Amino acid sequence: MTRTILAVAAIVLGASVALAQAGAPHAPMGPPPGPPPPYQLRPAYPAGDRTAAGGNGKVLFEAHCGYCHLAGGMGTNLVTKQQMMMGRTPDQGLLANRTDLTADYVKAVVRGGKGAMPTQTRVDITDAELDAVAKYLGKAG
Amino acid sequence: MKLHLPPRVSPQGFAAALKAYEGVVGKDWVMASESDRDAYSDIYAPGDAEQWAASAAVAPANVEEVRAVVRLANEHKTPLWPVARGKNLGYGTAAPRMAGSIVLDLGRMNKIIDIDPKLATCVVEPGVGFFDLHDAILRGNHPLWMSVPGNGWGSVIGNALDHGIGYTPYGLHARNLCGLEVVLPDGDLLRTGMGAMTGNPAWHLFPFSYGPTYDLAFTQSNLGVVTKAGLWLQPAPEASLELIFDIPEEGDIGWVVDTIAPLKISGLIEQNVFIPSWLGKMVLKGQRHDFWDKPGAIPEWRVAELLKQYKLGYWQVALRLYGEESVIKAKAEIVKAAMKRHLAAPPQENWWRQGDAIGQYEITMGVPSAVPLQMSDWIGGRGAHMGFSPVVPASSEHVLGQLKRSRKIIADHDVDFYASFTIGGRFANNINMLMYDRDDAAMVSNMKALFNALISETAKAGYGEYRTHLGWMDPVMDTFDYNNHALRRFDERVKNALDPNGIIAPGKQGVWPAAYAAQRHSAPQDSVTKGGKA
Repeated sequence: MTRTILAVAAIVLGASVALAQAGAPHAPMGPPPGPPPPYQLRPAYPAGDRTAAGGNGKVLFEAHCGYCHLAGGMGTNLVTKQQMMMGRTPDQGLLANRTDLTADYVKAVVRGGKGAMPTQTRVDITDAELDAVAKYLGKAG
Repeated sequence: MKLHLPPRVSPQGFAAALKAYEGVVGKDWVMASESDRDAYSDIYAPGDAEQWAASAAVAPANVEEVRAVVRLANEHKTPLWPVARGKNLGYGTAAPRMAGSIVLDLGRMNKIIDIDPKLATCVVEPGVGFFDLHDAILRGNHPLWMSVPGNGWGSVIGNALDHGIGYTPYGLHARNLCGLEVVLPDGDLLRTGMGAMTGNPAWHLFPFSYGPTYDLAFTQSNLGVVTKAGLWLQPAPEASLELIFDIPEEGDIGWVVDTIAPLKISGLIEQNVFIPSWLGKMVLKGQRHDFWDKPGAIPEWRVAELLKQYKLGYWQVALRLYGEESVIKAKAEIVKAAMKRHLAAPPQENWWRQGDAIGQYEITMGVPSAVPLQMSDWIGGRGAHMGFSPVVPASSEHVLGQLKRSRKIIADHDVDFYASFTIGGRFANNINMLMYDRDDAAMVSNMKALFNALISETAKAGYGEYRTHLGWMDPVMDTFDYNNHALRRFDERVKNALDPNGIIAPGKQGVWPAAYAAQRHSAPQDSVTKGGKA
């Protein structure tokens, strides 16, 4: 079972799991290179006061969390694998597709870390920015 | 994380200092809650992270605020631990060497001040990450390439200042720095190189100062806070060719190094050539228990099976050539002929030409990614890693000696072997990646014992590390023992002269100001021998 899931995950994730290698990844096989994936060309950080409430959760999520949690990113790769191990579909690896996240859970993971994910400081993402992101991702309330 | 106050500072004094910092940066940017202290702890810490606990963090927005904070730190005797983005993963993240230090988080200073596509330079602040600079280069459509480390999440300047390495012709990141702006420990402001003249346009182009040149003295250093730096970038080449050689046997690393190093030294190969062992690929194929479900190192016979099953060599050389296509073709023939003397199988060849898209994992083309960090998941749990990173001469004699020595020590501790050699010219950086679950006390304890053994045995053989985790900054400095530790004695004379209150990064790289000298070896990681004790 595990091996099947790993094999499927590798296919679904394209080059990311199967072909990258720590330190000096390259692609000896697999799909031809395309334009940069979303996690490598994130939206610019919104200008203005980072401590003001009411920011755009989607933009803030993509700018601050996108390094890892947009398509192709490390967090997406790991979450996809975890979700598939739980019998869910690979699209659940993208946090923006999840409907079971709560705002409080998002905040707890961001500030407390989880597995391979480090804790995020208030310089990485301010409380006001995190509120907006948690509201955006926390579709379960 | 408990609140650890700086040495000799009372709770009242600490509160007064925080209040003073708030007056400079604003209340929101003095971060002193328990959750803040947790966020600035070393999430990969081997053992108790309290040993390297920050008391708070302060995040200035500009150089004037940095100067004001540094002056206040002198006044209140609250030492600062500057971090750029605090993503020095595997070496301590954002955590300070001395418990109670206040992290000076420069993450808000994230302006890309200039990108010059003609002379191939940029000027950036410390909070600019590799991803950010990459985004700006792509958006501006500049014909420039970066050099990136395995983790592209961190700071461009921070990585260069910590002697980080990448895998392009610009892979010695500290060498790319040209012209720094530095806040000195008394709050004074220095510009190095041609920047010492007001308005000089060659600041980030000419690498020397008039007189002594101090730029590298601010790397792995506690002599100042770098607030801005010029950085040389690689002009995007007309073409590039990747040659991938799978190297079958462990011992083959000897001839590989003897073949590649002369080509690198002569300039025919321009990049830093990264040669990882097989586990570097396995960590991305799943978790350890998918391949071997027992504790202890994966036995040799199972390694042989896995290499066969996944068609992996023990090592892999993914060499990249850059430049005009005709020149690359001529170079490639020379490289292939040299490799063919030892290896019958021809390399896989991947051409790239201007206009072609660049794959997302092309670290040898300067594309940042955090995906290599997926190795944190190999062991499972709260995955963590540390790198044991000695430097050896780039010849088979030294590389094989180092391999044999570290291989045996790692096997004696029953840990999986995952090493790489990066040929940077006349030397090779040997990085031994040690992966563990932070919450498994026995595993952590074994890792610490292993790390100590690696440092002491490697030092006995005459080699030193180029970089290390907070917990071993003192023991590694102890190994640099020539003339009764003349380097450290010199470092500390300079430190005490420039920073009499010892407020910038006490203990960084084992350099302690007189004010906190009692803290030397204050985070003992059991015992390391040679030239000192832990």
